Amino acid sequence: MDAIIQVIHVSKWYDRRAALSDVTIEIEKGDFVLLMGPSGAGKSTLLRMLIGEEQPDEGQVFVHGKNVTKLKQSEIPYLRRKIGSVSQDFRLLSKKSVFDNVALPLVVQGVSEKDIRRKVTEALRAVGVDHKKDQSPNSLSAGEQQRVCIARAIVNGPVVLLADEPTGNLDPERTGEIIELFKLINARGTTVIVATHDPHVMKQINRRAVTLVQGVLMEEGRLAERVGV
Amino acid sequence: MRRLVYIVREAWANMRANRTTTIVAILTTAFTLACVGIFLLLYVNLRNAAGWLQEDVKIMVYLEDSVQAARRQALEKELKSDRMVFGVLFVSKEQALGEFRAQFPAETHLLEGLGENPLPASFVVTLAPNYRSPQSMKGWAERVQTMEGVAKVDYNQEWINVLAELIGYIELAAIGVGLLLSAASVTIIGNTIRLALSTRREEIEILRSVGATRTFIRIPYFLEGAVLGAFGSALSLGILKVGFELFRQQMQSAGRFSGIESLLSFFPFSLCIALVMAGMGLGLAGSVVSLLRVGEGRA
Repeated sequence: MDAIIQVIHVSKWYDRRAALSDVTIEIEKGDFVLLMGPSGAGKSTLLRMLIGEEQPDEGQVFVHGKNVTKLKQSEIPYLRRKIGSVSQDFRLLSKKSVFDNVALPLVVQGVSEKDIRRKVTEALRAVGVDHKKDQSPNSLSAGEQQRVCIARAIVNGPVVLLADEPTGNLDPERTGEIIELFKLINARGTTVIVATHDPHVMKQINRRAVTLVQGVLMEEGRLAERVGV
Repeated sequence: MRRLVYIVREAWANMRANRTTTIVAILTTAFTLACVGIFLLLYVNLRNAAGWLQEDVKIMVYLEDSVQAARRQALEKELKSDRMVFGVLFVSKEQALGEFRAQFPAETHLLEGLGENPLPASFVVTLAPNYRSPQSMKGWAERVQTMEGVAKVDYNQEWINVLAELIGYIELAAIGVGLLLSAASVTIIGNTIRLALSTRREEIEILRSVGATRTFIRIPYFLEGAVLGAFGSALSLGILKVGFELFRQQMQSAGRFSGIESLLSFFPFSLCIALVMAGMGLGLAGSVVSLLRVGEGRA
């Protein structure tokens, strides 16, 4: 299998405090990885490094064959077009419709009007909110907003989907639905990395799990093995 | 296409979201540029006036009373064949007296007391357009002065030189005030753009996360700055035009300066377009300054 993500001896400090300390991980194409750990463990820092938003103080990060630590500023947007991002706070534009929010990654790439219409409709259908396409995100429930956020992340067929605490604002029932969506996206070939400290998520995913504690990679293994499933 | 629509819509949304700031920026830019425009208008009109006056300058070549007809004819021929000369008109002693009487009827008694006509015959010379500069005139006058039969060469260039000097000062003032007030316009527009940037920070973050390039993110703000500058500049031209027409009417009704108002002219259309473009450029500069200073965040 090909490694789509390689994090090699990466360290990062903020005011002398180590956010990441000599972290090395390799993620294969098509993997579903749970990145676990308490708040402040360095999960978000690691995800931000994968999209070039943070640079490590030491070590190297490779995504889809590109050394992110060596990329020029002008090359970073093109890397981000291959990576879908989902966050806890949804980050949707309230003044734009659901359709326009999802269309944004395609608009910035200059995709044709016809393809935008087709791809956005497909993405909205895949997450089950196609009937809400003309509404404002503010009129949707938290679960629906997160679905729109996921539709935006997958609309241009990314090779990797990063989700940072995607269920942080959702109840257990909605959390289950969102996890099922991630599994579905992964089943279609997209590498999915979910950073979470939510026990409901941990219970529902029997996939490779990586735990970070105070910036140190503690253990790796299938979550089910550790919880005895 | 959708990308273009998005960019234009974003610029428009920015302006609408910060409506008050946008209007204040346009108005302030308009009044600032109108101040520069006043100097420019003054400069343009004085330059026009100087041009007309320079064209109208006649050189008087007064002849000695003793000069014979043959020598006068030879002199006239010589002047007419000079490549620097555009036109030559002979004014005899009698014609000069007639003109004096016509122009100063109340003063004719002064000449009657002298008995003989004291006014000399002369040639009224107009130089060719290429030789109307003060230096050319001076050189030509000095040369003709040495010719046989010529008593005196006279031309009143001094006050034209004063006008040229005045125009030079106004030009300097226009440049100085223009630079100062243009910097003010850039700052005003820059602040408006900075406000737009801060109110839309979240959107910028989202755009960055979905792979928008810096250029894509910046274009709506460049566009907004350019539009503010162009509107401000166009409005300043409107203000100037109204002020100019009121001034011209005032001159007309005052009577004392009758005729002058018809010589005054507003900026030609091409200059108006150039000024709107300049305003657009200032607005763009404001956007660039503010985007460079604040940045839209690291890529």
